[in-house]
Amino acid sequence: MRRFLLIVVILLLVGTGVYLYLNRSDQADGTAPTVAGAPPSADVLARGEYLTKAADCAACHTVPGSNRAFAGGVPFRLPFGTIYSSNITADESTGIGSWSDDEFVRALHDGIGKHGEHLYPAFPYTSYTLLSRSDVLAIKAYLFSLPKVSLPNKPNDLSFPYNQRWSIGFWNAAFFKSQRFQPDAAQSPQWNSGKYLATALGHCAECHTPRNGMFALQHGEELSGEELQGWHAYNITSDQTHGIGAWSDGELAGYLSTGHADGRGSASGPMAEAVENSLRFLQPADTSALIAYLRSVPARTGKDPITVDSKPAAALASSDFAPAGDDHADAQGAKLFEGACAGCHQWNGKGQQTPYASLIGTRGVNDMRGVNVTQILLHGSSLRGEGASIFMPGFGDAYSNTEIAAISNYVIGHFGNKQGTVTPDDVAARRNQM
Amino acid sequence: MVSLSINGQTYPVDVPDDMPLLWVLRDVIGLTGTKFGCGIAQCGACTVHLDGQAVRSCVLPVGTIGNRAITTIEAVGNTPSGQKIQQAWLDVDVVQCGYCQSGQIMAAAALLAHTPNPNDADIDAAMSGNLCRCATYVRIRAAIKQAATGKAELQQTIVSMPEGAAS
Repeated sequence: MRRFLLIVVILLLVGTGVYLYLNRSDQADGTAPTVAGAPPSADVLARGEYLTKAADCAACHTVPGSNRAFAGGVPFRLPFGTIYSSNITADESTGIGSWSDDEFVRALHDGIGKHGEHLYPAFPYTSYTLLSRSDVLAIKAYLFSLPKVSLPNKPNDLSFPYNQRWSIGFWNAAFFKSQRFQPDAAQSPQWNSGKYLATALGHCAECHTPRNGMFALQHGEELSGEELQGWHAYNITSDQTHGIGAWSDGELAGYLSTGHADGRGSASGPMAEAVENSLRFLQPADTSALIAYLRSVPARTGKDPITVDSKPAAALASSDFAPAGDDHADAQGAKLFEGACAGCHQWNGKGQQTPYASLIGTRGVNDMRGVNVTQILLHGSSLRGEGASIFMPGFGDAYSNTEIAAISNYVIGHFGNKQGTVTPDDVAARRNQM
Repeated sequence: MVSLSINGQTYPVDVPDDMPLLWVLRDVIGLTGTKFGCGIAQCGACTVHLDGQAVRSCVLPVGTIGNRAITTIEAVGNTPSGQKIQQAWLDVDVVQCGYCQSGQIMAAAALLAHTPNPNDADIDAAMSGNLCRCATYVRIRAAIKQAATGKAELQQTIVSMPEGAAS
């Protein structure tokens, strides 16, 4: 009996030791590679503003269309409940106005809140841990220079055991490592800068890297695509067929800075938000660095690979104003497209009033499962840029699940030259996502 | 400053690049024949021609037009297909309340210009994006066919026959 108790005590001690070891914080300040838009010589607020945009804090902390910048309250519907983003304005009682520098740094580097509580990894401290302390504090200085907004945080609505914050400690022990960005001396300064922009700041992986059953990033599958909140974040590895390996530098730069690349696609849904709030503000040198890094990401096929047909027969046979080549087209889908879609997208998919409405070559219409096609049909999409406001209205309230499925499959057939597999049940499920 | 070629005339206008053409036509230049319907390219009331192609002016940023020729309802009667369509519209008396009709006529004139003898499928493909809440669709279809063939399709409500019609 005594021996048994001794073993239990030893196991507990070892377990606690391992837990603490795996949860150890990297106290290093870290050094960031040079980011063209935020050089060390610049004023701290100017650097902070640029870094805040590059880190896309607004995407989660500002309700789209509201005038309450960084006051939180954006819902994130996850499989196990809803998390609301928090108020990160400098308001003392409802925001982070009372947070010290060290507390703010600990939140970004270690995912721990002011009162020692674990933050949910919906907040990408898993990426921000790579930021240098100096960059984190520039972001804090910028946030603290903005108007304070008094808005209490909404309580999360999570089911057991996900509502147990302490359990995140074990998740961190298994999947998170507190560490600063380590430059790779074998690579160019541009590449290092691009990696910092893609990982520490832009946290591309949080959407584009597949997650395991415990919702942790699968590092061996980096950037090979994942479905999150109902949207497919595409494969952005250097794979020629399934990733962005075949895109030219100009196409990538155009997509990142304007949300559109001819013959490749237009950003919609969460990616449109990333362009609108973040990527379009990057200086050309930083965009180029980001591209240089992405090009070096090993090619991967990913779990739901999409093969783009850039010359779909039916669409190429069609004209600006009339369809052709759809002998086996879904009749209902074609009828609906005729009435609601052709006026902007055209039968040849060129895009009538704006090139953003072009469809040929996009991964959306080449995805047989029609994930993003369905989402954009249901919920619409918008992208506000400088001198351009691009939108597509949502049709979720106008059309039934059967109709949305029919349009999706028609579009996949006509513009992707594939047999779409969207069912009304799929549409019903996707209605509730986002 | 944007320079627009509308109905054969040049209009320099001082507007933001992302202003939709419809706003420029109606509020800046004063060509109010083109109507605002939905503002999201879903009803067709704002249809105009850009180099002969029917486009929705409510979502067309003026900055993207360049020197392409814009034709509106005010001048579509000067084109051969527009002239035929307007005459058929009168002869069949398509219009009921009329709000959508400048868009309907523009879409029909564009159709006839590129498809001189449209069948029902051609008409559906070209006209389905133009809504009419008075449901004048039957007369629209008849008038397009009448404009194409010159043969009377429905009871003619105005005494004169269309040009070129068999008497």
